[in-house]
Amino acid sequence: MRSIDELCENSARALAQRTSRRSLLAALGQLLTGAALLPLLPMDRAHRARADEARPEALGPDSCQYWKHCAIDGFLCACCGGSSTACPPGTAPSPISWIGTCHNPGDGRDYIVSYNDCCGKTSCGNCECNRNEREKPMYRPSRNNDLNWCMANANVNYHCTVSVILGVANK
Amino acid sequence: MTRSVGTRRVARRGAPALIRCARSATALGLAALAAALPLRASAAGPAEDYTLYCMGCHGAEARGVPGKVPPLAVTLGRFMRTPEGRNYLLRVPGAANSALSDVELAAVLNWLAARYGAPHEPRPPPFTAAEVARVRHVPLADPLATRRAVVRNLTASGPAPPADY
Amino acid sequence: MQQLPPRSPHWVYVFDQAFFNETDARVHLYDGDNYRRLGQIDAGFLPAIAISPDGSTTAVATTYFARGGHGTRTDVVEFTDNTTLGVTGEIVLPAKLSETTPTLFSAAYSADGHFLYTAYITPAASFGVLDPLHRTVLSEIPTAGCVLVIPSGTNRVSSLCDSGRLLTVTLDAHGHEASRAMSSPFFDVATDPVFVQGIRSTRGFTFLSFLGEVHDVDFTGAQPAFAPPWSLVGAAEKGVWRPGAQQVGAIHRALGRLYVPMHMGGEGTHKDGGTEIWVFELATHKRVARWPLQPQGLSRIVAIQVSQDAAPLLFAATDTANVAVFDARSGELRHVEKHLGQTPWMLLNP
Repeated sequence: MRSIDELCENSARALAQRTSRRSLLAALGQLLTGAALLPLLPMDRAHRARADEARPEALGPDSCQYWKHCAIDGFLCACCGGSSTACPPGTAPSPISWIGTCHNPGDGRDYIVSYNDCCGKTSCGNCECNRNEREKPMYRPSRNNDLNWCMANANVNYHCTVSVILGVANK
Repeated sequence: MTRSVGTRRVARRGAPALIRCARSATALGLAALAAALPLRASAAGPAEDYTLYCMGCHGAEARGVPGKVPPLAVTLGRFMRTPEGRNYLLRVPGAANSALSDVELAAVLNWLAARYGAPHEPRPPPFTAAEVARVRHVPLADPLATRRAVVRNLTASGPAPPADY
Repeated sequence: MQQLPPRSPHWVYVFDQAFFNETDARVHLYDGDNYRRLGQIDAGFLPAIAISPDGSTTAVATTYFARGGHGTRTDVVEFTDNTTLGVTGEIVLPAKLSETTPTLFSAAYSADGHFLYTAYITPAASFGVLDPLHRTVLSEIPTAGCVLVIPSGTNRVSSLCDSGRLLTVTLDAHGHEASRAMSSPFFDVATDPVFVQGIRSTRGFTFLSFLGEVHDVDFTGAQPAFAPPWSLVGAAEKGVWRPGAQQVGAIHRALGRLYVPMHMGGEGTHKDGGTEIWVFELATHKRVARWPLQPQGLSRIVAIQVSQDAAPLLFAATDTANVAVFDARSGELRHVEKHLGQTPWMLLNP
């Protein structure tokens, strides 16, 4: 049984593949005035849409080797009472984050991922995971996972990290 | 814009998926990882560049973090009103030392000013790559002090960004 | 109470980030001759550690929460007397400390010990200038997005920039900015970034790049001077063997030897830890030894340090929290100290 997060990711991806940008915008406008959602960056119009959804991954988001964790550093919130996109109870997401670009073997595309920390409690201590694809040292903070991204929170204590897919990477 | 049957079908099927995703992101509490879809293919570059190089700190809606990260929404257009304000924008750390080229930086700033400009305020002249190249490579020694001085002067000619954030 | 024995060059300060209990970092003082712990310095949350140039004091720049893991935040530099391991005082700082995995340049003394610099990231970048003797804050200097505090000459501090340049700020006698200058770029972030964890050399600091280029920076002149880079790897090895660790190298300055944990791996493995220690002769840039670690029962090396005396010891921390002690000249493994801390990621000596 796939998790909500997997369904969300697969559906968003499949939706992007099947739908032209203009009709997608119309659908979004109808349904989601002002609500937060996972954005989809502009698609290459020449790309041929797929008929099928991407095949489910063998690994789930609570595994360090799950594709979207390719530049994560810390503890997987999925193992801490949250999910790979939701903070555990009693912790606050960081408004700032570092960015990774991860390859999804399921559909062969690269995706931009935002790594936000969940803050306000001490180390979760479970599912420690450090991967560093395209990661850079701290003079390029947007790509650096050594910094405590809870630094701008009211409580800067670090608990765990989520991986939020922002959209397809064209760069 | 015409809608085909196929699109309507997708919209119906797509809605539950989007709502699931929305719930997920809302539960995360992340303010506005909202759709940043420009309508023209040529604008794909600045949206992605903003995401890759700026959004991590300035936020998905360019609102910054109070006390920590300055907002770009509304304020960019105001700074762009005067040569002194434009000079400031191109020399802040995020611009001066950015990995973006002069062309890319101009495109991101112009995209931000267009997308997040205050609705009833006039659009400023866009940055050119030449203007960016001329100014950006001497970073400000004290960005906050410069900001305060620039904002003081801007108040004389219209709405000004906040001096602090 | 046990007293510390007289100081030995074969002691090493083992910084333990305590990643699984990150509000409880420590520094363990370890005797590399007698293979025993000598004592501990408590270090709070994501601290910066700096030992004074005369070796007398350890400065810990760190964060405490009023209720352990939450509550009012206080950033502070605490000073520990290295002959007693007692805390002797503190300076309260603005709540801006850079919070990151450890580097030599998160907090640093000037070479003459008159100033202590503390890196701030909020995410805006700046640094504090402190008077460690009188325990006061002298100034805060914004750094235009450039990060960290490299002591780079008398009254000079350098920071690393995304543009591949060094920003150097010159201070007056009161610790205020007198002038600043940007260097030319000396590395390209896009193609081959340098690790921020520099290695103290005879004339300044040496920075290694992800692909194994060596950037020796001479800070003895009026401005930083960048020697032409040389390579740790031959043409066939480039992109295959590379440095990778939390602390990427150590230099014995008198012997002119560079020790680097190396591993085979591709892009994204720059923190994976070394499976071998490669030894280089600085005068010739030649590799003079390779010491594989697995045959000696050691897992990957994440931190490395060498004593500066004439019979030097090489210390190497593994990713299983063991610290190995080698004869730095022969490579003979003398001892493995098990579980010296939870996550020992940086090794320091005065």
